[in-house]
Amino acid sequence: MKPEAILHSFGYLTQAAGVTVAVSLAGIVIGFVIGALICAARLSRRAWLRRLGGAYVSIFRGVPLLVQLLFIYYFLAEFGLDVPAIVAAVGGLALSSSAYQAEILRGAFNAVPRGQAEAAVALGFNGLEIWRRILLPQALRISIPPLINEFILLLKASSLVSVVGIAELTRVSMNIASLTYRPLEAYLGGGLFYLAINLTLAGFGALAERRLAAGEAR
Amino acid sequence: MTAPMIEISGVGKSFGAHEVLKGVDLSVARSEVVCVIGPSGSGKSTLLRCVNFLEPYDVGDVRIEGRLIGYADMPDGTRRPMSAGKLREMRREIGMVFQQFNLWPHMTAIANVAEPLRRVRGLSVKEAIQRASAMLARVGLSGKAHAYPSHLSGGQQQRVAIARALAMQPRLMLFDEPTSALDPELVGEVLEVMKSLAAEGMTMLIVTHEMGFAAHVADRIAFIDDGRIVDEGPPRHVLHDSKESRVRHFLQTYHDRNSF
Amino acid sequence: MSPDVLWRYLPSLAFGFGVTVFCWSVGGALGMALGFAIALLRRLPVPPLRWALRAFIEAFRGTPFLVQLFLLYAAGPSIGLRLSATAAGILGLGLYSSAYFAEIFRAGLASVPAGQIEAATSVGMTKFDTLVRVELPAALIAAVPSIVNMLIVLSKETVVLSIITVPELMYQMQTMAAETFTAFDAIFAMAAFYWILVEAVSRLGSRVEGRVTAYLASGGERA
Repeated sequence: MKPEAILHSFGYLTQAAGVTVAVSLAGIVIGFVIGALICAARLSRRAWLRRLGGAYVSIFRGVPLLVQLLFIYYFLAEFGLDVPAIVAAVGGLALSSSAYQAEILRGAFNAVPRGQAEAAVALGFNGLEIWRRILLPQALRISIPPLINEFILLLKASSLVSVVGIAELTRVSMNIASLTYRPLEAYLGGGLFYLAINLTLAGFGALAERRLAAGEAR
Repeated sequence: MTAPMIEISGVGKSFGAHEVLKGVDLSVARSEVVCVIGPSGSGKSTLLRCVNFLEPYDVGDVRIEGRLIGYADMPDGTRRPMSAGKLREMRREIGMVFQQFNLWPHMTAIANVAEPLRRVRGLSVKEAIQRASAMLARVGLSGKAHAYPSHLSGGQQQRVAIARALAMQPRLMLFDEPTSALDPELVGEVLEVMKSLAAEGMTMLIVTHEMGFAAHVADRIAFIDDGRIVDEGPPRHVLHDSKESRVRHFLQTYHDRNSF
Repeated sequence: MSPDVLWRYLPSLAFGFGVTVFCWSVGGALGMALGFAIALLRRLPVPPLRWALRAFIEAFRGTPFLVQLFLLYAAGPSIGLRLSATAAGILGLGLYSSAYFAEIFRAGLASVPAGQIEAATSVGMTKFDTLVRVELPAALIAAVPSIVNMLIVLSKETVVLSIITVPELMYQMQTMAAETFTAFDAIFAMAAFYWILVEAVSRLGSRVEGRVTAYLASGGERA
């Protein structure tokens, strides 16, 4: 093993890590918007909306991401749409993540004790005020740590977009491996980048969780 | 003259900077029933847990029938922890009943009682089951032998826990607030079992808030506050004639809260 | 996709399904066994061992499964580890999931109330008996939902094995798709198949959980 080999490719790997973070970030943000809508559907008073939301979550959590990615890719091609790979990649990550984020948000809303909404009703708050002033702020706070965790999971899952040709961390590691004939150094280098990003994120997650706990103790 | 069943002398214990026990002396004779009462946080549970060394004490002696528990005295005057095997040997002679029952949730009532008989006393399955059924009958729970703890009321769980401790045929029994986690209507059935044990001559050291029970069953009551035994004597003396203002104040508060 | 295409490829698809199930079950069993061992070893009062196991868990939970597979399969030979694609796939699934299983078992052990262990100590049970008879059964029961969940996650990870050419279902599907130009139909069938599989396993999982809970809550009738 030659550790220098990792150092030689450091620039490429850094750049690729940037692509990984960017793709995942786009996926998580778009996924959050879709996830919030799905969550609203699942908490809706209308049964058909709840069922629709449930089916969405079940499908996008049940089908492996790799299958979803290729599905989007081929689905669009079927209709003659020549979409750049990056759209398929971000779209796939966002759709898959939205199902998980919808469940995180739903869990957070359910975690706010029912009595608090009742107390607000007793004090004469209207429905919108209860959502805006009581439920939403608390649910968002509760969902921060699991959302950070979801981001870590998505970052790791983003390695799969290498199959549609995005030059992210895994793809670049593969390229370096085949160019230098040093797969061990290439994949270890790539792996270390993932590890560094994820440990940093996990650190933020732990910090957020402590802040949250401290906030509750106050 | 033989050594007392339990002899606690000069026992001290700190959790970090907080000194919970500040030199406690207390002895319990064979077949004696001693109740320890006092405000919460006074150190009474810690004291009880020092007797079977679930809580290692820092200074002083706890002797069971004259034998020091938890430590071995060296010829040069130093102390080192007792071997795990010797400690287990002593512990199986001391029954303990906990506030939260602490039954093992994955075993039926009878399995909870039989398990230590098999593992610790080395009884065969048949012997263990036989003795366990007898013990469950003793606490009035023959009909619940095959129920899991989650299917039993708190009072029933505590009676199974007493049967589990009793089945080991201990020389003495420790009770750590055995009725504090129970709904009021379930307290009686547990106290009845304890009363009958006392009548049979079991040596018992009991931490409790049940003043009525202490008054009727205890041979002696010790009042503990802030890590020290403040007053000690026959129930009449402590509950009615104590000269200590802290004892009188505690009892006054207790009576005020329990009269309506 | 015409029925005769599917008919023609049925043997290879059935074979692929067999490989998928084989990799999943052997990899999952390996991961559970390893994870269980790690969770127990972490309790030993040997700091260097604890650090090493912690590092192992962090490394396998902090990197993508695909990268771990490449390390085993493509980089393995440079450290003298020559594995077939399938062997690398199974070992990869095992190592990857062992890190998660280790955390699941650790959490299960931590969930056993201290009082239940004290009760065993107070009757004079040995540490070993306390672990085997009191802590482990309660810990395993508490861990059942997480174990089921991890096995579901793992079933989805098996499709990643197709990337290193393990001849499992996804790989067979892609081969068929390439040879018959039926990419869309093949991938649609694949999505439907996995959705049904995961739904079925989830439902089976909640049944198992329900049974375990019922077993504990059952009264004198069934013991």
